[in-house]
Amino acid sequence: MGYRISVDTGGTFTDVVVSDDDGELHIAKALTTYERAFDGVAAALAEVAGTLGLELRELLASTDGFTYGTTRSTNAIVEQKTARTAFFTTEGFPDILLMREGGKLDPFRQLPYPPPYVPRQHTWEIRERMDAEGTAFLPLEEASVVEAIAAAGAAGCAAIGVCLLWATANPAHELRVGELIAEHAPAMPFTLSHQLNPIVREYRRASSTVIDASLKPVMQTFLEELERDLRAAGLAGDLFISTSFGGAWRPAEVVARPIYSVGSGPSMAPVAAVTYGGVELAGEGGAPVDMLVCDTGGTTFDVGLVSGGEVHYTSETWLGGRWTGHITGTRAVDVKSIGAGGGSIAWIDAGGLVHVGPQSAGADPGPACYGRGGTQPTITDAALLLGYLDGANFLGGRLALDRDAAERAFAPFAQRLGMSLEAAADAALTIASENIVGAIREITISQGIDPREVAIVAGGGASGLNIVKIARELGVGRVLLPSTAGALSACGALYSDVIAEFSVSRYAETRALDLEEVDGALADAEAQADAFLADLSGVRTVAERKEFFVDARYRQQVWELTVPLPAARVRTAQDVAAIEDAFHAAHRRIFAVDEPGQYLECLVWKARATAELAKPSVAGRPIAADAGGAPVATAPAYFRETGALDVPRFDGARLPRGAVLDGPAVIREPTTTIVLPPGARATVTESGNYMITTSVEAAPPLGAQTSEVTVP
Amino acid sequence: MSTFDPVLLAVIANRLDTIVREMENTLLRAGRSAVINMARDFSCALITGDNRLLSTAEGLPVHVIGTEYLGEAMCDLHDDIAEGDAFLHNDPYLGNTHPADHTILVPVFYEGEHLFTTAAKAHQADIGNAAPTTYMPFAQDSYAEGSLIFPAVRIQRGYRDVDDIVRMCRRRIRVPEQWYGDYLAMIGAARTAEARLKELCDRYGPETLKTFVEEWFDYSERTMKHVIRRMPRGTIVGSGRHDPLAPVLPDGVPINVKITVDPDEGMVELDLRDNIDCVPLGINESRACATNNVMTGLFNSIDPEIPHNAGTFRRVRVLLRENCIVGIPRFPASCSVATTNIGERLVVTTQRAIADAWEGYGLAEGACGIGPGFAVVSGADPRRDDEPYVNQKFLGSQGGPAGPEHDGWVTYGNSVTNGLMFRDSVEIDEQKYPIRVREIRMRIDSEGAGRRRGAPGAVVAYGPKTAPMQAAYVTDGFVNPPRGTRGGGSAAPSVPFKLDAAGMRHPLEPIAQVEIGPGELLGHALSGGGGYGDALLREPERVREDVLSRWVSFERAREVYGVVFVDELLTDALAVDEAATARQRAALREG
Repeated sequence: MGYRISVDTGGTFTDVVVSDDDGELHIAKALTTYERAFDGVAAALAEVAGTLGLELRELLASTDGFTYGTTRSTNAIVEQKTARTAFFTTEGFPDILLMREGGKLDPFRQLPYPPPYVPRQHTWEIRERMDAEGTAFLPLEEASVVEAIAAAGAAGCAAIGVCLLWATANPAHELRVGELIAEHAPAMPFTLSHQLNPIVREYRRASSTVIDASLKPVMQTFLEELERDLRAAGLAGDLFISTSFGGAWRPAEVVARPIYSVGSGPSMAPVAAVTYGGVELAGEGGAPVDMLVCDTGGTTFDVGLVSGGEVHYTSETWLGGRWTGHITGTRAVDVKSIGAGGGSIAWIDAGGLVHVGPQSAGADPGPACYGRGGTQPTITDAALLLGYLDGANFLGGRLALDRDAAERAFAPFAQRLGMSLEAAADAALTIASENIVGAIREITISQGIDPREVAIVAGGGASGLNIVKIARELGVGRVLLPSTAGALSACGALYSDVIAEFSVSRYAETRALDLEEVDGALADAEAQADAFLADLSGVRTVAERKEFFVDARYRQQVWELTVPLPAARVRTAQDVAAIEDAFHAAHRRIFAVDEPGQYLECLVWKARATAELAKPSVAGRPIAADAGGAPVATAPAYFRETGALDVPRFDGARLPRGAVLDGPAVIREPTTTIVLPPGARATVTESGNYMITTSVEAAPPLGAQTSEVTVP
Repeated sequence: MSTFDPVLLAVIANRLDTIVREMENTLLRAGRSAVINMARDFSCALITGDNRLLSTAEGLPVHVIGTEYLGEAMCDLHDDIAEGDAFLHNDPYLGNTHPADHTILVPVFYEGEHLFTTAAKAHQADIGNAAPTTYMPFAQDSYAEGSLIFPAVRIQRGYRDVDDIVRMCRRRIRVPEQWYGDYLAMIGAARTAEARLKELCDRYGPETLKTFVEEWFDYSERTMKHVIRRMPRGTIVGSGRHDPLAPVLPDGVPINVKITVDPDEGMVELDLRDNIDCVPLGINESRACATNNVMTGLFNSIDPEIPHNAGTFRRVRVLLRENCIVGIPRFPASCSVATTNIGERLVVTTQRAIADAWEGYGLAEGACGIGPGFAVVSGADPRRDDEPYVNQKFLGSQGGPAGPEHDGWVTYGNSVTNGLMFRDSVEIDEQKYPIRVREIRMRIDSEGAGRRRGAPGAVVAYGPKTAPMQAAYVTDGFVNPPRGTRGGGSAAPSVPFKLDAAGMRHPLEPIAQVEIGPGELLGHALSGGGGYGDALLREPERVREDVLSRWVSFERAREVYGVVFVDELLTDALAVDEAATARQRAALREG
């Protein structure tokens, strides 16, 4: 096979990964270019092409697959640079987007109420009403649609999101509204709720719909320009765009449903973990090991889950805060962001309690040690004071860290605690780790996963600093840190497939399942999946598969669980019993109780189509010829268990496969630093990744006082 | 300062909150009735083995303060508490809020010692009352109310149900499977926390945890004291009034709250003794509700960072008297509606008294009552062979109060839940019940005006499709709408109504149980929240946003806020006429 290229565009850096014939990975970074995305990509690719002895054009011409991930849509939403969008809704319900589903996080805190995604003056009510059973209680009054289209145009709206009540039960009215828009405003992009996201619950569906519509103009322009540039530069192979579903689509599919590009970058880290974990973390009898995927960005710590070799999905992705932001409502890889990063500030409240965050020094002014005017003690400052970061070699030497500034920032904090600077820095890092531990426990346990039974796959620049600390407190024994940890998402894109899910809403109860109705729903979903796969005919796929699911709940519950169907159709009483059994088991795992004998209410029937793409093998990275595995230096570092002591420093590129390092030690990689506390052990695997055994039992509990330990 | 490791203090405190959140998640997702799984009308808490409130995370204020009373009752009534027990407690005369809030208590043992108790409390869809509603405002006593009362009754032993008790509930409670599903969810939540607390003991050792508890209470008390020390000194009396309940209380229900702040001592005293006796109605406060509602009014008014636990409460003295409507009720005085109506009035009266007295503290009054927008509906579902249904609806939206800094919260619900509760999905309601919702929209000019304005309420209308629907509701704010503070205005009153098949509007009694026939609609124009400060000082740009949101009419913008626009257009082009606004405001001031 030829080259495969993947790109992950972040807010600051664009990561590029190229795999060659042997599966060897070449990574490069460049500054993200906002004017023209291609420029940043080209700069990074040119660097890799140089290493391979190729011109950029030659590299692109011999590339089979190019997967591009971008935060463009996410940023457009955050920065409110999406199209001015109109919301068409059923008469009587103009405030769906304002009221959301209610809920708030903090009972005693007075906060400003967040505005709706589409303001009221861009909302129009359509006279019509479908019933829950799919009958038209009030027929569509077309004049109200035509009026709304004209008014939306006059108000300068550049897209329309249409969400009518019960369009999922009967889409006739929405379809007709779509026809009228096409007729009266032919150039206006629009989204119909039942086509985008046919779920019950009007707020979620409406929110999906308006977010999607608002992204259509910007993503169409952006992706068309990108493809034009890449083709002009010589790309002949397939171009894919990463999606929030952890897969890849061709640009035209993303233009049609751009909401699936929101959050696509972070969704790729779990995909990378599936690949790496499959190679490095086989459990007993080769069974896949459940994984917790941790990826640190600049200001957030992202956590995803993989169990049974499958990435976890969610339908509850909120942009800008749970319950009070805007829900995407679409199914996406479940990645939760914890507001904890290198810039998080340590502080002490009036009663004497230590906190880290939620305030952050961010990138500007940044931590005190960046020397850009920051004066508050941050986690990065703590890591410098503890001797974990090398002030002269941070970010490959691009930024010299100012230890004096870090000391000045930490001095008042340490004084108030009555601790040495190092002990205070350790306290800050411990509390920061605890914040992450608490959040991870909520995430894993709410999925019915015991964190003690998983392995962690860690990526991102700062994750190596405290991942062992976090793992130990969670009771996790093994941490896999790929040598490509700094570009985990881009690597994930390299290993992704073309995946799409198609849903059909059809209410049914398992106590007397209408097999014919359900058959119709599944046939409909499968037909859509087949059409999607057929449409990929020009694409180099190696295999195709379809899986089927149902969203179901116990009678009278309102929150559904997704369970897999044993086959493409539900034909017999045994099939129905199998669905019930799968549901009971899932309910017991997640909620600690189940109710055998109770029937299920089934809501949405789904077909997932996967077209597998050819993937590079996990061959890993080049190792220096003179790799001897000896430390390149020793320098003091502080650990709570031991106090300050001289700790060996290793250069990752000079470690041979099979090398075993015992903590305390610090390993420098070009994009990350790995801290091994006393008792932890890292082994360089055959693929050149780091497998860390944390020795949970050997470690003191997080926060607990320990007596001095002598380390030989 | 103590010698306890400050890092460990933060770590364990965080861990306890995580456990409570895990309980909440279990209840929310596994709960069966819409009251729980859609509206989130439930709370979880941890108390110590000796019955002090330890951790509440984001529990509803009205639910969690007072959990310690439930533990006290469990310990007083049983001398054989053992590992594997679970207790069902809903007795308002022994520390519970009101009978509709079933609480599951699980004592947590470690090495044979009762170290903690976990509590999962959830408002039930039905509790076997005399009528198909969990709110019985006109019940003259507990017998008329008819609820099954469980004074900390053992419902599990050795981790297995005591079937006698479960059978009693199943016999009497309407839609018993719904109740049993909710019961399982509560057990799941309480047992989950039991397991987690044991793990925590394994990790840190019981002795460390015991020391932690004392240190954590000391820290919380210090923090509270610090906040009170910066408050103004003085004694103030706030008065409020719940709407009439004829014929017993034709002039409404007066509420008095006496608040004394002593910054030197770092103490706040909340005195509710100067109030009327218990009444032969279902609106009496339980001891738990009298306490937690007046405390909610206080906590709404001060720094939200304070943890809410037994340590904090050492700095708050609540004075109650026996046989008082906002005190300690004597059986059989009914507390059926204790968590809402009078309870809500306690909260808003307290926070408004503080706002009236001290600039920068407190809030205006928020919307009160559980009118038709929050009715308990029941009937038979013709789509499911006339299977009976009963559940509370959360379709309404009423406005939160304005404060010194912020406008009111739109999806406020009411003062005892402070915006925490969820709203029903129209589609889910229509799928689960044989009803159709006609309209939910924000109600124009319903907000209390002010420099900071109250949030607007909504207008709601819904009804049955083919078979009659019973609806029970307890509106407040029809006669006494939410008041503003420091010059802020009152909100629009809360108005229940009925639309007949021809679309004609008819008034309804504010507190009633009604039957709505097919083709008819039950309607409710809900209150907003009261305003804070002078409306003429509100930034014109904010008034413009309110107008574009259709919360404030052009007329009201002009006449109440003194804001005049160049052209009265509901588009982005809408512009404030600054000169005309200045003139109008001057004229209104002289007015």
